[in-house]
Amino acid sequence: MVEYRTHMKIIGDILSTTRDDLQDEDGATVTYLIRKANVSHSRISRILSVLVSQGLLEKVDSQGSHKYKISQTGREFLQAYHKFSGFAINFGLTI
Amino acid sequence: MEFLLENILNLVGFLVGLIIGIVSIIGYRNTGSPTLFRLAIAFCSISAGFFVIWTGYMVEDFVLKAGHLERWIQTLGIAIQTVGYFFIAFSHSIKSLFPKSRYFRSIGIFPLFLVSSVQIEHIFRSVSFILLAYGAIETTLSYLENRNKGAISVALGLSLLALGEFLGWYSFVFPESVLYFVSMIIKIAGLIALFIPVSKIPLTKIKFDESFD
Repeated sequence: MVEYRTHMKIIGDILSTTRDDLQDEDGATVTYLIRKANVSHSRISRILSVLVSQGLLEKVDSQGSHKYKISQTGREFLQAYHKFSGFAINFGLTI
Repeated sequence: MEFLLENILNLVGFLVGLIIGIVSIIGYRNTGSPTLFRLAIAFCSISAGFFVIWTGYMVEDFVLKAGHLERWIQTLGIAIQTVGYFFIAFSHSIKSLFPKSRYFRSIGIFPLFLVSSVQIEHIFRSVSFILLAYGAIETTLSYLENRNKGAISVALGLSLLALGEFLGWYSFVFPESVLYFVSMIIKIAGLIALFIPVSKIPLTKIKFDESFD
């Protein structure tokens, strides 16, 4: 059965990838995030710009391409996301 | 004895609802999740509903000393609780509860003006029962999917609240029987079951918003 992912879950997946699953220390490229988080290019571009504007991700210019790293605020958000995700699961819900 | 149990039930309901509501608000403030926002509304409403009835009993006992609770206070409290139960059910994607036609929506309100407050209380209790039963079934289905132990506790809690609500409604048929007493015991057990998984959420390491400090 195909699992439906909420917008919040996709954000959680993107942040988790930039925290736990980086290709190198500079950060993750958009292509890498598309593959890991399984989101289309147009959608991930919108999400990434929102996450950068909210201070959850840092945009790094590396060798002529943009890479994304999780910020300290992003780490705190991810921690809160995991805890309250568990809270919502108790009620049979996903956040 | 019934008065004491009624007080315990409403106080437990108020506190459990308040704690779960506050945890949901903190979660919403930290993540912006609409699901947590709906849960916050649900449990704050449930807490407020129990608080209204508890306050009514306190005022009656210490100030008015009339020997019975004003019917409209009971009805108001149950109505506020029903709003909370609706939001729990709504979180499980109830989208067709209200009639879609504007005509049906307008006449749907009419019965509330045509019946006495006792009958309104019956309506709210039966609606609460349906919403709670729906929430319990959905939570049980969720448990079957992800096998989260907390979900089974919440499902049990919602089931007990639904059963308590049903017995509370049915006790109007047999007013002098033990049914209302049993319904209160069952509802207290349901509230405790709801609280168990929430009490295990570790909130200590979460950096709260500054407004919560």
